[in-house]
Amino acid sequence: MRWHYKHFISSKTRKAIVNIIVCLKQILDPEVPARDFRVDHDRREAVRGSANLVTNIFCENALETALQLKERSGGRITALIFGPEEAEDSLRKALAMKADEAVLVVNDGVAHPDPLAVAQALAAAVRRIGAYDLVLVGRESGDWGMGQTGGLLAEELGLPCVSFVDAIEAGGSGLLLKRQTDNGWERVDAKPPMVATITNNEFNVPRIPKTRDIMMSSRQPIAKWTLDELGVDAAAIRAGGGYSRVVELAIPEKEVTCEFVSGDTLEQKVDQLAQRIMEIARAL
Amino acid sequence: MNLPAPMNNPLALLAHAPSAPGVATREVLWNIGDAWMMYLMFATSLLIAGYGLHRRIASWRRGLPAEGFDRPKERLLRLLEYGLAQRRTVRERSAAVFHTFLYTGFIVLTIATTVVMLHHDFGLPVMQGAFYLYFQSFVVDLFGGLVVIGTGIALVRRMIVRPRKLVYTDEAELLLFAILLIALTGFLLEGWRIAATNDPWGAWSPIGYLVALASKPLFGATALKIFHFVVWWSHALLVFGLIAAMPYTKMLHVVTGPLNIYTARLAPSGAALRAMDFDKLAETGEPMGVKTLAGFTWKDLADFDACTECGRCTSVCPANTVGKSLSPRDIILDLRQFIRRGGDFAAPVVGAVPATSPESLWECTTCGACMEACPVFIEQMPKIVDMRRFLVMEEADFPDTMQEAMTSLESRQHPFRGTQATRLDWADGLDVKTIAEARDAEVLFWIGCGGALIERNQKVVRATAQLLAEAGVKFAILGREEKCTGDPARRIGNEFLFEMLAKENIETLGRYGVKKIVTSCPHCFNTFRNEYPQFGGAYEVFHHSEFLARLVAEGRIRPDVARDKTVTFHDPCYLGRHNGVTDAPRELVRISARRTVEMEMNREQGFCCGGGGGMSFVDEPKDKRVNQERARQALATGADIVAVGCPFCMTMLEDGINARRGDRDVRVMDVAELLLEATKK
Amino acid sequence: MSDVVICLFSNAGYDRAAQGLVGAGRRLADALGARLQAVVLGPQNPELSIRAASIADAVVAADQPGLAEYQPEPCLAVLTQICRELAPRAVLLSNDTYSQELAPRLAHRLGGSAAGDGVELAVENGALRVKRSVYGGKAIATIELLRTPAVVWLRARAFEVAEGARPASIATVRGSSLSVPAETPTRIIERKSEATGEARLEDAAIIVSGGRGLGGPEPFKDLQEVAGLLGGQTAASRAACDSGWCPPSWQVGQTGKKVAPGLYLAVAIRGASQHMAGISDAKNIAAINIDADAPIFKHCRFGIVEDYKKVVPLLKERLAAMQK
Repeated sequence: MRWHYKHFISSKTRKAIVNIIVCLKQILDPEVPARDFRVDHDRREAVRGSANLVTNIFCENALETALQLKERSGGRITALIFGPEEAEDSLRKALAMKADEAVLVVNDGVAHPDPLAVAQALAAAVRRIGAYDLVLVGRESGDWGMGQTGGLLAEELGLPCVSFVDAIEAGGSGLLLKRQTDNGWERVDAKPPMVATITNNEFNVPRIPKTRDIMMSSRQPIAKWTLDELGVDAAAIRAGGGYSRVVELAIPEKEVTCEFVSGDTLEQKVDQLAQRIMEIARAL
Repeated sequence: MNLPAPMNNPLALLAHAPSAPGVATREVLWNIGDAWMMYLMFATSLLIAGYGLHRRIASWRRGLPAEGFDRPKERLLRLLEYGLAQRRTVRERSAAVFHTFLYTGFIVLTIATTVVMLHHDFGLPVMQGAFYLYFQSFVVDLFGGLVVIGTGIALVRRMIVRPRKLVYTDEAELLLFAILLIALTGFLLEGWRIAATNDPWGAWSPIGYLVALASKPLFGATALKIFHFVVWWSHALLVFGLIAAMPYTKMLHVVTGPLNIYTARLAPSGAALRAMDFDKLAETGEPMGVKTLAGFTWKDLADFDACTECGRCTSVCPANTVGKSLSPRDIILDLRQFIRRGGDFAAPVVGAVPATSPESLWECTTCGACMEACPVFIEQMPKIVDMRRFLVMEEADFPDTMQEAMTSLESRQHPFRGTQATRLDWADGLDVKTIAEARDAEVLFWIGCGGALIERNQKVVRATAQLLAEAGVKFAILGREEKCTGDPARRIGNEFLFEMLAKENIETLGRYGVKKIVTSCPHCFNTFRNEYPQFGGAYEVFHHSEFLARLVAEGRIRPDVARDKTVTFHDPCYLGRHNGVTDAPRELVRISARRTVEMEMNREQGFCCGGGGGMSFVDEPKDKRVNQERARQALATGADIVAVGCPFCMTMLEDGINARRGDRDVRVMDVAELLLEATKK
Repeated sequence: MSDVVICLFSNAGYDRAAQGLVGAGRRLADALGARLQAVVLGPQNPELSIRAASIADAVVAADQPGLAEYQPEPCLAVLTQICRELAPRAVLLSNDTYSQELAPRLAHRLGGSAAGDGVELAVENGALRVKRSVYGGKAIATIELLRTPAVVWLRARAFEVAEGARPASIATVRGSSLSVPAETPTRIIERKSEATGEARLEDAAIIVSGGRGLGGPEPFKDLQEVAGLLGGQTAASRAACDSGWCPPSWQVGQTGKKVAPGLYLAVAIRGASQHMAGISDAKNIAAINIDADAPIFKHCRFGIVEDYKKVVPLLKERLAAMQK
């Protein structure tokens, strides 16, 4: 089934250079099995254990969306991370996927600053990068999932923002965006510069980098900036910010026992199933 | 005709050597003037053939280096077994007959011609006496007859039976007709010579003698001489034509077949894939995997020219059997034609011919049936993987679901995206130690991702662990430190990822000083046994079926209840075909069940479950599923239980059996589970 | 001032989300001893306004022509102006895409703090605390908002509705008191609905959902029929949507819709935590799965371990028969 995406991305998109900054986040692998998932109640964060660090999937969707836009309309893509030194791996992967440049704003403070602190650090880096038309972020992260970076970043930069975008092309007043809504989709005409948060669809599944590009990415430079050189309140950001704080983190205990429908034959079992379903349906 | 009485019945004479009249022989080049023309034609045909061979060899020399001439003793022995004795060729019934007739006929006739040459041109009086009668006349005549029969069968097969696996070309039929004509004219010439010369030894050539008997009443001596003269030159022309045409037709296999058998890989087919030098590739910018013809080794290129067009590879190919487009035969033949038509060594190979379309390449399960079937040891599968390497590593263009598996391998070191199982779940409630806890363990039990992370297979590794414990084996596992061996990455073509995983695992195993490994998965087994040595990891490796069979033989496991069931064993490709382990699992089945049956395709010739080569991560079209075909074959045996020895076979066959068993109660069980049940009092 | 403001869109009507939001607002206002102000954006919707007014202390309706349909920048500008005027202690929104889009930006403009996807609100030592699921549903976090106002979007459907019959004032903000920006850098120029039925997935009382195990797009037709028999809707897991078997708007889970139906019937869905994160508010979960070990069953009230291919056709038959 192919939906409207093909129609949306017209074959005759205007050739317009679009410079894009894609903000990424490296997170604890969200697929770590529930059994292996532990939290540190005192530090109020997840215990890494043997789990891996991966690039947040929506951030990769954002990078993929940017790459597709660049392939049609030209421009440069800068991958930007505000995170620990280890986040370099995610930037290397972004370079392997063919981002043009990579910038790491080194977070040497608390592991999870609040959303505003993150937005302030990113905004300062975006301003320093300078020439851009579009700043893309993932709609939310697979760890804390606050879903605020895009909006706060837009406000810090004084730019408009469109959320839940899943396709972008050059056109209209500059950019045409398609975004998902609760019951369908909308087309947005936008005049850059702007911020957009990206969600997933079947067409922005992140590409697999070519092995040669993976090998080459290890030789490409990654700009490393410190908070101090960005003209932000570095001390506040290192401390986690003054916007919000996590006061408790716990693994919920859920005890539900599933009652498997019984019966000697498939027919009997399905009969039971249908009855249980109807009971609930009638009560509703 | 008046012949000396005893000569009327040559068979009666076999007991004692002939004596009169004089020494038995015949005149060479009887009735032929200007014999120099024959030598000229012979020389010309040799020149033409030589040029053709030179062209072929020149094309092989454009390939990359590869081994092929080391360990000559083993190679010679193999050449005797599979070249001279035709061990693979005769596996197929019709070929066993017609090819043996043609092949032996050609050998005998070539010897006979050499004898003539020695006798006539080198002055060695070999073509006389008993040897002349027994061999040069009688045996040669019979084998000439076999050539006629063989050609006849081949023609009937090609023109009337028309099996699907053959390639139908005019060339093939023309060649057969030419051979038939050569043999038939040979008999005519012999008969007419016997008739015209009143050859006293004529009856020693029974077929020629019959021709003589039939011709004598019809034609006078002059007519016979004229016929003989004309047909002789036609015969000569055909023979020399055939020699000249040899390197340009499928006849080339007469030379390249044995050469290929001699130079082919000596290691088991599980070791067929080459390692790559990534540092060098990064420096030189040369493509990873086979992008163009220049990426093949000389051995690969020689493979193309060795092909006999028998089509067995495609007829046993599981993907092709279920109606997919993959055809190993066509990969070889299409590329051969591509090269012979001046194929550009700098042009992309993938998609250059229909058979190398990406769609086809992504249907291969790397089961190796094609290689196992090939009478001249062509290696189709590694070429497919080589082309996949290019698609994966240079183009990053491969099926989405395989990409997911690769991504998972990269970030989680297992290929099963979205699993909620951990590497230790299967051992819940069992007293299983990690090697970090039990450094003195004598053997490492390698669980494998399929065993640890697929619920159905967790029961298998659990059963194996219980049996090991019961037998008092001091074993340990790696637990969370275990990573995928890299097998799916390597088969899919991501050699880079494979190498990374291999090195990491070898490092871990080295850290714990692991020497002996039991694996639950034949893919892991093969990787440890045949592939890690390429990266400096050498271990004594057992598949759990081997290890358990040994424990049973040593009396450490005592099965005592054979179930009242009929069991058929499905050979995992990476156990049976790629590594020749076929007896141990059968032994376990035999002691666990009252009755065993075999599927038609078994042991080294087993039919893939459809799950190898990364294919278990691909959604096959509903009507073209390899596992369903294998399930059909398994169900056809009437077995109650289909025994397996591989986590991939388990999931593929369970799917297939469940889809096809209807109301029948057929289960898929691992040999370890069967054995465990058999030990329960 | 210590008002609590809730933000409603008149176009959405007084749906379950609006009801939950009003309920949540009422209880928070009562806990704080504050007034509840309901802001309604968009064209006049008397039913919504009156129903909200019966529970809230005041309703502010902004029905400028520029707000007739949702546009990000004008709505944000207007909401910011109203909130500045009301200077609330907290602003609550629902978790629809528009509200999620506005909330962080609104917080920033008001100098406040935002948090989203709240399932519980509490006031502790004068600070607002929001309980929300994190790490793909594997953990629950309590976030304290350090600035005022606290802007929170809630999983509104999971909140109880409030009863009320108070006479409230409905103030309509018009004309010069609000400036709706006319020229904005972004503009929605086309809207398409892909709803699976008449109601929105988030409002569905019953959801029949399919996953990767279905193996292709065709089985969704059967699921739609089952849903139809129950008056429910069809949804899907991310794997099914990513495979293109159904529209992305059907996607339920951490990265899709968060739904709260009375019954969620999961067909051939294994139940990874990312999917469960989208249905944690469901009252009842049932599953059809061939694998008894599938994690989904750990969350089920009842289930059947069978191949969906065999179960679904029979189930369809039985349900149809039962309705007669």
